[in-house]
Amino acid sequence: MTSTPAVEDIVGSEYEHGFTTEIESDTLPPGLDEDVVRAISARKGEPEFMTEWRLKAYRHWLTMTPPNWADVDHPPIDFQAISYYSAPKRPEDGPKSLDEVDPALLETYEKLGIPIEEQKALAGVAVDAVFDSVSVATTFRETLAEAGVIFCSISEAVHAYPELVKQYLGSVVPHTDNYFACLNAAVFSDGTFVYIPEGVRCPMELSTYFRINARNTGQFERTLIVAEAGSYVSYLEGCTAPQRDENQLHAAVVELIALDDAEIKYSTVQNWYPGDAQGRGGIYNFVTKRGDCRGARSKISWTQVETGSAITWKYPSCLLRGEDAVGEFYSVAVTKGRQQADTGTKMIHIGPNTRSTIVSKGISAGEGRQTYRGLVRIGQRAANARNHTQCDSLLIGDRCTANTVPYIEVKHPSANMEHEATTSKISDDQLFYCRARGLSEEDAVSMIVNGFCKEVFNELPMEFAVEAQKLLSISLEGAVG
Amino acid sequence: MSGELATWLGAATPNGSPAWLEAWRTSARERATALGVPGSKQEAWRYTNPRRLFEQAFDEGAAVLAAEALAPLLVEGLEADRVVLVNGRYAPEHGRLGALPEGVRIDSLARLLAEDPEAVRPHLGALADDPAALFPALNAAGGADGLVVLLAPGARLERPLELLHVTTGERPTLAQPRHLIVLGEGAEARLVERYVGAEPSIAHATNAVLEIDLAAEARLDHERIQHDSAESFHLSTLYLHQQARSRYQGLNIGLGGRWARTDINTRFAGPGAECVLHGLYLSGDGQLIDYHLDVDHAVPDCTSVELFKGILYGQGRAVFDGRVFVAQDAQRTDAAMSNRNLMLSERAEIDTKPQLEINADDVKCSHGTTVGQIDPQMLFYLRARGIPEASARRMLCLGFAEEIIGRLGDEALRAEIAALVGDRLEAAPLD
Repeated sequence: MTSTPAVEDIVGSEYEHGFTTEIESDTLPPGLDEDVVRAISARKGEPEFMTEWRLKAYRHWLTMTPPNWADVDHPPIDFQAISYYSAPKRPEDGPKSLDEVDPALLETYEKLGIPIEEQKALAGVAVDAVFDSVSVATTFRETLAEAGVIFCSISEAVHAYPELVKQYLGSVVPHTDNYFACLNAAVFSDGTFVYIPEGVRCPMELSTYFRINARNTGQFERTLIVAEAGSYVSYLEGCTAPQRDENQLHAAVVELIALDDAEIKYSTVQNWYPGDAQGRGGIYNFVTKRGDCRGARSKISWTQVETGSAITWKYPSCLLRGEDAVGEFYSVAVTKGRQQADTGTKMIHIGPNTRSTIVSKGISAGEGRQTYRGLVRIGQRAANARNHTQCDSLLIGDRCTANTVPYIEVKHPSANMEHEATTSKISDDQLFYCRARGLSEEDAVSMIVNGFCKEVFNELPMEFAVEAQKLLSISLEGAVG
Repeated sequence: MSGELATWLGAATPNGSPAWLEAWRTSARERATALGVPGSKQEAWRYTNPRRLFEQAFDEGAAVLAAEALAPLLVEGLEADRVVLVNGRYAPEHGRLGALPEGVRIDSLARLLAEDPEAVRPHLGALADDPAALFPALNAAGGADGLVVLLAPGARLERPLELLHVTTGERPTLAQPRHLIVLGEGAEARLVERYVGAEPSIAHATNAVLEIDLAAEARLDHERIQHDSAESFHLSTLYLHQQARSRYQGLNIGLGGRWARTDINTRFAGPGAECVLHGLYLSGDGQLIDYHLDVDHAVPDCTSVELFKGILYGQGRAVFDGRVFVAQDAQRTDAAMSNRNLMLSERAEIDTKPQLEINADDVKCSHGTTVGQIDPQMLFYLRARGIPEASARRMLCLGFAEEIIGRLGDEALRAEIAALVGDRLEAAPLD
């Protein structure tokens, strides 16, 4: 399978280092106090209201304790050992050439069909000539501007559109929401702001890749997407290629707001470094994602393919407030080696005639631990609410774990909700059938697993779907046999 | 904290008790005091606040019940031997036990502890070992009596045994019975356990603990009918331990009580065992019916089935919290958990949480939950045949309940429960 150019674009789209040449060398020393929060705000030249907003969050954060209910194990995080602001890294900090990069990583790039220059970028190797992303991105920006779509970094938005930021930032995930969201509110480095004006169908799928001034915002990223009445946007986050990253703790916040008849489609492919065979050094991915279907007939759809990170702690949720609002959650999560994932969704039905669909596919191999944790709440005003939940787990190997923890709270008699969950392994019959038709064991497993995940892959934008399938096959290589 | 628990912790062990019994009670007392009253932050108590229970004063209550007061509490036509407990205490005058076959012992726990403590020593508290559970600890500290059924290997109860527990008194009383059911290898029995209240308007409390130990190839059919009076609090915790190829068939009917919480903990200890748990609950005005299942597949090749159905109306609330745990290496486990709810009113609420925790790969596990209402098409079908709407709704609800009621072991009990459910639905505002 050869990659299309669009795939290549996406593959190179994350927060890789050394992508731009204007490098400010500026890093705050590790530690966190009010001065650090002020310093971050000052460095970004933020107006007074933002500084206050951050400080309020920081003060609240001091009163909170880290959550311990998730089924994940990790040593306590020393929040004073983290540096909360670092400008992009100097290129010379990275490996000098591909020879210094972990050969396993290179092999994976090879299999994904990533061109050599891009491999260097992804691995953090200093490159001087970057392929022509800047010009591509500029063309895209022009098209977006014509449509009236605002697509810029949060820092830029704070200056250029303070009213919008003031109105929406923190309105879906308030700083009081949870420990990591609160920390993010205090120290977030940067992120993406998208605003789709009324009635506009965003002319292209948006990805951070096209936002040329977004670099190294990985650690405490903040995304805010506002879709005005009748608008539509599809947003892609992440990248299928495994990435090198210096920051172990990632605590991002994503807020989506859909007004009347608006639709937001948010797709994620997450493949952060999962750590070595013993699980050391992998990324902690503690993310708060929530969409607010404020308007009538609005729709928010989350699709995620989670294959990376040592620990994933993430529950993309929908608040279905508007009448007839629709929430969707499609997820494939893979844990292997010592990876742990506690992920799921919350569908909060508030308005009447709201509908939600949850399809979660968990694949656990090796010593992977995986939990689906979900909440479906049907409130007292949510007449005729409808939910269908399906969580399936596939176990590969006898040392892995798959848990399902659904919470269902129904307060309206006209609610219709169904929850189904199954757990199974790849059966010998299925394997034998494929093997008898001449497929190798690995191809057979890959085919069965892709079939298992098909419902979710169907929801991904085309290029992403192709990549995700490939990624899955690679992730599970050697898991059976 | 111990102030509010004082009634529950009971009096000190009577003098002359064996040292091991005293030690057991003391450690339970200390554990209960240390645990204190749970709050909603604790996962097992997320949907239930037991505080109200501890704000109420309870008497210990006398174990006295007039013979004429017993008669209306009996199930007509039930062919069974009978043991009656009044306010948690064995009342032999109300019992009806025929000649017991060889190898069968049915007696009062208090009497055995006084006269033959060594007979119960290996079983008392042997299974109720959850250090975090408050109510079993309170029961151990404060309870004094209960039913003991010991079946030697191969023994078989000819007739079903009915265990009738009555709470009664002019003031709220607290009953904390503990029942030990021990079946030797290949033994067989059927136990019908019923909880009833003599006075409908008094808020009695029951905190029962059952320890059921099934040896290899033993078989127990167990029907549990909770029909306490409307104002009462009912708590019961069942610990079940199953050896290889044993079979337990449990049927839980939850009708009564203002707040009724049933915890069922089952653990497989040998391969090839089977555990079937069925349940039906009705929750109406101001009621909270609360079921917690914990099924532990600790060993391979066992089968468990859980099917609980609920009907909610008025301001009724119900909680279903089920967990199936499959240990590493518990291969070829077959577990299916299902919870179906029929919700009939705007003010009713159901919170359900069917969990799976799976650590082995060659397993067949599933769980399903549904919450819905009466199918309008079915209703239309009946209406079109001239059946008034309210009757049609009742018929459909009874049909929904029938799947569970129909599994009761004999006709007399089926008729009794169908009538009770029918009466409740009759009185329910089904609009």
